[in-house]
Amino acid sequence: MKITSDLQKLISPGSIAVIGATSKKDRVGHIIFENLMRSELPLFPVHPREKEVSGYATYHEIESLPDNIDLAIIAIGAQRAVEAAERCARHGIPQIIVVAGGFSEAGTKGKLFEDRLRTIPKMFGSRILGPNTLGLFIPHNNLDTIFVEHGDRALSGGGGVAFISQSGSVGVEALGLASNTGYGMRAFIGLGNKCDLDELDFLQYFGMDHKTTCLAFYLESFDHGRMFLEQARKIAAKKPVVVLKAGRSKAGASAVSSHTGRLAGSDQVVTGAFRQFGIQRVYDDEELCDASKTLAALPPSFGNRIAILTPAGGYGVMGADHIETQKGGVKLAMATLSPITQERIRLFSLPFASCRNPVDLTASADNKMIGDTLDALLDDDNVDIIICTAFFAPPSITDGIVDEISSRAVGSKKPVIVFTQYGPFTDGYLRRFHENGVIGFPSIGRSVRAAKFLVERAIILKALG
Amino acid sequence: MKPSLKKWLDSLAIKGFPDEFEAKRLLNLYKIATPKACRLHPDDNLGRLEFNPPFVLKVCSGNILHKTEQDGVMLNLDNESLPKAVAHFRARFPNSALLIEEQVAFKGVEFIIGALVDPDFGPAVMAGAGGILTEIYKDVVFRLAPCPPEEALRMLQELIVAPVLKDFRGIHIDARELAGIISKTSDLVFELGSSVCQLDINPLVFSRSSWIALDAKLVLNG
Repeated sequence: MKITSDLQKLISPGSIAVIGATSKKDRVGHIIFENLMRSELPLFPVHPREKEVSGYATYHEIESLPDNIDLAIIAIGAQRAVEAAERCARHGIPQIIVVAGGFSEAGTKGKLFEDRLRTIPKMFGSRILGPNTLGLFIPHNNLDTIFVEHGDRALSGGGGVAFISQSGSVGVEALGLASNTGYGMRAFIGLGNKCDLDELDFLQYFGMDHKTTCLAFYLESFDHGRMFLEQARKIAAKKPVVVLKAGRSKAGASAVSSHTGRLAGSDQVVTGAFRQFGIQRVYDDEELCDASKTLAALPPSFGNRIAILTPAGGYGVMGADHIETQKGGVKLAMATLSPITQERIRLFSLPFASCRNPVDLTASADNKMIGDTLDALLDDDNVDIIICTAFFAPPSITDGIVDEISSRAVGSKKPVIVFTQYGPFTDGYLRRFHENGVIGFPSIGRSVRAAKFLVERAIILKALG
Repeated sequence: MKPSLKKWLDSLAIKGFPDEFEAKRLLNLYKIATPKACRLHPDDNLGRLEFNPPFVLKVCSGNILHKTEQDGVMLNLDNESLPKAVAHFRARFPNSALLIEEQVAFKGVEFIIGALVDPDFGPAVMAGAGGILTEIYKDVVFRLAPCPPEEALRMLQELIVAPVLKDFRGIHIDARELAGIISKTSDLVFELGSSVCQLDINPLVFSRSSWIALDAKLVLNG
């Protein structure tokens, strides 16, 4: 049976010891210490010889640290890290992060080190994150142990997604990319080798955490598969849970004697189990970020009928194609606009505009036409989700379109997803929409896919009652 | 384990290797219908059958899983041709039991219902388009056990063949009852627990207003 844990002191520590903190630049112990200084928390560097680190007096051994330290971050090599973790635990530090690799992922000797680490929680009650982990990043209290570039400044605005990754590298690269265009993050957790704390602990913690509005996981293995699903179902009734399960499960050697065994080998059990337990499944890092940022910020849709608003007909046509050929168990439909809506749009648009869905206001559209049309679509009961295109090439569309759209999209009960492209300025505009609280994507395909997640979420809520 | 399951496990002719006749008795314990049947052990004589032709004759052994590949099935037999067919099979499979069943007529599509124990998530049930092409179409959906009938209905809706459950081309077949059988199969695999390895019910067909399992294969963990 799993020990349930209170991870408060890991996520919001009052004080931190850094074992292996050093003044030597380019060392992990240095980068982590400098990062942590931004948290303005009481920090306690531990180093056997150095007198000070970045202006903080060092402690030469763990035993001389003050009592009541909440979190120890161990930034030294595997063999010495095990001993340091034992001493931290004996000293009464309740939460420990072991950064180093060289454990079970590195062969027999490393596995022995990891087995020793594994005994610490049982003997002393301290909890361990890692080993072989980048640790965590909590924007709202500037707590950051990640010692590689990850778009930290761009992500520091915070948000609702708890992002829990078994692979540190996939996690930070995905976030780095997402941060280019804006991504609202509550927490990043690198699970590493999961010698103690695992996906179930963080599912439970962030499931209960009121700052978290969506949980996103990158997982290669499940330590408590069935229990994870049962917990996820409880949480999914309140907030979205998105999982990228990498590594197709292999049917055991004995499993090939039946049709069922051979058919299951194609990863179908995971798909079925996720649907049954209200988990939204994604298949790559981009999709994980797109789904989680959408689900964290936008309400589930009432239905599956989508309206597209565009000043460029081609994108309307492509959008309709995406909607009508969407795969993966969720059906989307092009909304049929009510006659009143079509009449309203006709009144303030140009004679050659198309007032049916996809609504094409043409390249002669201006900001006000787009705003007024958005109002008409928001009022139409035949429309469940709106994809609104923000293009800056049409001569009468100006920078003001960002606020024109944002003022209507933010807080709307009907989800509005922005699709924007403007050559090399695309990411900048997406970031501006993000800062306004609007969800946007740089392609029509990704915008439709985001709409699909909202429809899927509504189906899950209905099934979970 | 339920006493009825324990009793069934203890009754197997070869421990741990149920034959088709035995697998079907297990389905019957879960109220899943199978054709009227009679099993002949190698030393049994062919007596009077309590059901009418046409008959199906099958080789019936826990060690032979692929009857079709071994040419171990004969269809459309009557009272006259059956004894000859039995003699023929006896010569080919001298140490195996034989199974004689009432041949069931059916309309519409063949389904497959399966079950296995997934290494990550535990007992799971599968439903989909059955028959001999099932592995080519791969139109199957999984759920974990136990799977209540409402969840099984949702599962059926995800299949490509789902439209056949809605009076497709005037053929009426009962989706609710099918969902019930999926649910019962999930109970079966859940209650058998770790002793079950895999189960195939294929085909499951709709005959004379109800579902019936024409073939069943169960592999237990040795």
